[in-house]
Amino acid sequence: MKTVIFNGAKEGDLIMNAIENTIADQLTAKGWEIEPIELRNMQIAACVGCLGCWLKTPGTCVINDDGRETTRKAIQSDLMVWLTPVTFGGYSSELKKAIDRMLPSMLPYFGSYHGQIYHKMRYKKFPNLLVIGVQEPGVDYEETFMALAGRNQLNFRLPAYAASVFQRDKNPETIPAFVEQQLKKVEVIS
Amino acid sequence: MSEPRNVLLLVGSPRCERSNSYAIGKFIVHKLEEKGLSFEEAFATRLVNTQKGTERLLKSVDNADIIVLATPLYIDSFPSPTIKALELIHEHRKAVSPTKTQLLVAIMNNGSPEKEHMDIALKIIRNFAQESNFKWGGGIRVGWGYALNSEPLNEKKGRTRKLTRGLSLASVNLAEGQPISEEAEDLASTLFAPLFLAKIIIRLVVNPGWNKQAKENNAKAKMRDMPYELKT
Repeated sequence: MKTVIFNGAKEGDLIMNAIENTIADQLTAKGWEIEPIELRNMQIAACVGCLGCWLKTPGTCVINDDGRETTRKAIQSDLMVWLTPVTFGGYSSELKKAIDRMLPSMLPYFGSYHGQIYHKMRYKKFPNLLVIGVQEPGVDYEETFMALAGRNQLNFRLPAYAASVFQRDKNPETIPAFVEQQLKKVEVIS
Repeated sequence: MSEPRNVLLLVGSPRCERSNSYAIGKFIVHKLEEKGLSFEEAFATRLVNTQKGTERLLKSVDNADIIVLATPLYIDSFPSPTIKALELIHEHRKAVSPTKTQLLVAIMNNGSPEKEHMDIALKIIRNFAQESNFKWGGGIRVGWGYALNSEPLNEKKGRTRKLTRGLSLASVNLAEGQPISEEAEDLASTLFAPLFLAKIIIRLVVNPGWNKQAKENNAKAKMRDMPYELKT
């Protein structure tokens, strides 16, 4: 089983790096193959909204950079992990850059899903998703953050997902228990 | 808030002038221009990746009395350059407190007909406004953006009549330094066709239209290709 971890943190974010390492450790112990990706070190241009990945080179972004690889790795994994500082209740621009470039995993055609109109998916299978946000003290955007992950689940038709927020001022020693709880939610460890 | 003088149209679409966001944003700022306000345009995509661009963006924001963020929805939230612009503006305003009350208005558009797809993004931008010391000026959610074809909005066309009326009403509020009224928000956010009809049009016209566009690129036969499918 494969996990790809997209880390959308800034350089030197010790809490997010600790969460990433803990996820990797706990999954490795269960025999999973882990691929951590520090998005800030990747060459990923922003999606330009050209729809070329639907209408010119279906399934492949017309921009030839690391964004193609991150999408391929996501599609070919069993679990995708998104790590991000909670940014006004959403994801950081660094993480969102990689997510926007996953548009080729969808088809242009619209279809009805859970009573609303969404783009249909190109692939029959998409990985499970775990989204973890690190929230600064003094704000409470957990509800918005969770709701965003919930919409992503619908948009990508994910078989299972879990989302949670870790408070930056919380004791880092609680990270292993926190991560274990999240991995249980997404049904990758029992 | 004293009478506003300067409007900044901040376009969040990476398609810049060729986008629905620009067409919608341009309509409302032209209405404000008619009421005596001066306006400036900025495109997030062109500014956020360079020092010079960032400085220009922040200067434009500092100068504005009203900021109209016109942006599409990309995968349930804003395109990454728009988020980057918000991050930069927020950092700047933490360091330099604003000296005047500034209204922030968000006008979003989305490919699907239901405006509810934009509810989370609306919450995110409201959180940004609060955290970055802007006065919230209102949010408009335009469904089925594809139907606008990135053309300038026409007040007489059926497809854009409600939207343009709503934006015109909104411009009256904004010119007085007031947030957009609920009536203007609702009118501009109302789909031009009933939802059931929109769904039929999507099935019969929009979906086949994608094939037609792909055919022009000799890509029709590859439309459902799965280049990253694992071979078992």
